Amino acid sequence: MKTSKNLQLTIVGIAAAIGILLILWKPSVLIYGLQGAGLYAAVALPMALILGIVGIINLAHGEFMMLGAYLAYWFSTQFGIDPLLAMIPVLISMGIVGVITYKTTIHRVLGAPELNQLILTFGIAMVLSQVVNLIATSQPRKLSLDYVTASAKVGELSFGTYDFIFVAAAVLFLAGLLFFLRRTKLGKAAVAVGQNPKGARLVGINVDRTYLIIFSIALGLLGIIGTLFLTSHSIFPLVGGSYTMKSFCLVAMAGIGQLKPILWGSLALGVSESFIMSFQGYGGWADIVFFAIIVIVIISRAYKRTES
Amino acid sequence: MLEIRDLNSHYGKLHVLRDINLQIGNESVGLFGPNGSGKTTLINAVMGLWKPTSGSINFNEEDITNIDTYNIARKGIALVPQERELFPGMNVQENLESGAAYIPHAKDELESSLENVYSIFPILKERSKQLAVTLSGGQQRMLAVGRALMAKPKLLILDEPSLGLQPSLVSELFEKLAEMKETVSILVTEQNVRESLKAVDRGYVLENGSVALEDSAEGLSTNPHVIKSYLGL
Repeated sequence: MKTSKNLQLTIVGIAAAIGILLILWKPSVLIYGLQGAGLYAAVALPMALILGIVGIINLAHGEFMMLGAYLAYWFSTQFGIDPLLAMIPVLISMGIVGVITYKTTIHRVLGAPELNQLILTFGIAMVLSQVVNLIATSQPRKLSLDYVTASAKVGELSFGTYDFIFVAAAVLFLAGLLFFLRRTKLGKAAVAVGQNPKGARLVGINVDRTYLIIFSIALGLLGIIGTLFLTSHSIFPLVGGSYTMKSFCLVAMAGIGQLKPILWGSLALGVSESFIMSFQGYGGWADIVFFAIIVIVIISRAYKRTES
Repeated sequence: MLEIRDLNSHYGKLHVLRDINLQIGNESVGLFGPNGSGKTTLINAVMGLWKPTSGSINFNEEDITNIDTYNIARKGIALVPQERELFPGMNVQENLESGAAYIPHAKDELESSLENVYSIFPILKERSKQLAVTLSGGQQRMLAVGRALMAKPKLLILDEPSLGLQPSLVSELFEKLAEMKETVSILVTEQNVRESLKAVDRGYVLENGSVALEDSAEGLSTNPHVIKSYLGL
């Protein structure tokens, strides 16, 4: 017990030291790293929610975010509304997409072997990206919005501030989810279902309805993050795939059912990625670093488990 | 209260329950029999965890044969399963509260039920903030019984409650069950026939999926077949 506390202090100490060094040496790395981390965390949280409670690894995760982004694009160009305002209809539409997807597909594989579940969600991912490809073509879409270019200047350093919206989204998602799971009746029931579905049935919880609601909430959150993604990134039908992988890695790193560690994991990955990218010509190494860190963390966790 | 009529059930081609007829009124009933005789299958069928092939199960004059488990729980049947099925990441008190929170007729009396369970199992009160996963097997069993009682059930079903318990706890558990039968009907399956006969009014002996014997506790404890096969005298 004591050694693990010491270890934690050491890790926090090392992280703080790296942070201070970065502020002095490359402050922009910290800022862009934080912004990137916000996006990763906000996308990964709904995946952790689905995996922790419904028990499904959703390989269509990034594609649902992509769908949310395209819906936001459609709402905002069709009705001439600001994409941030389009967030509300997108949230509702994605919730409905969640209900339909759950009822028609997910519901049927709940008792099936995990491989079947993976194949199903992988298939959903392909259907989503190909359908969007057919309807909207593979041409990248981007909205030009004035407020996205907002920037701030601290001393010599000037940087874009808009992407801090992802940090805000991640923190709000986490706070909202923790409140929902700890304080509301439905949330507590969802936690019970996540820990033991049979036990939950026996105490009178409608497990199937809980799965449906949680899946739809997660897709609604993906609608929000998809809308935000659209405001500052260009979107195309295959944009979601890498976010599925990165979310899955973050969830695996945090441990199943864990939400808070996703924030710290995202921070470490966002900062190290932006650190690599700050060297001219080495940007392509960013993904390798991302996955290398994941591998190291997972191996060390497995090692710790065999030790204890 | 509970009436099972001509119940049949299959696992694939295996006929595991054959024309079971069983009634429970305001009483405590034991369900005995060797491993594989169909006791757990019968209980799972009552609880909606396993679909029977034919026959009917009525609870308070209502057909519950094809109703979802959570609805059966809400109607007033609580099961303490063999594997306990607790919520490992919740503490003792949260586990107990979950027993009442989703049952319409129990949730308003959560506080008084909690006091009641703590008075029956004082060890649970001592451990109220401890995670369920950290409890010993016996304590987890008590927690599972406590969680079932929180639902204020009309019928309490216990599946092999003595499994894995040390002998002193087994007698203690059956003493508590004997006290409880004043307020709730009980159906208990047991391999420990000797101890459980002290706590029940009547019993059924299940063999190869059908009811082989049905008698009062006294009748069973003097029946030569029961003595030979289950009491080992």
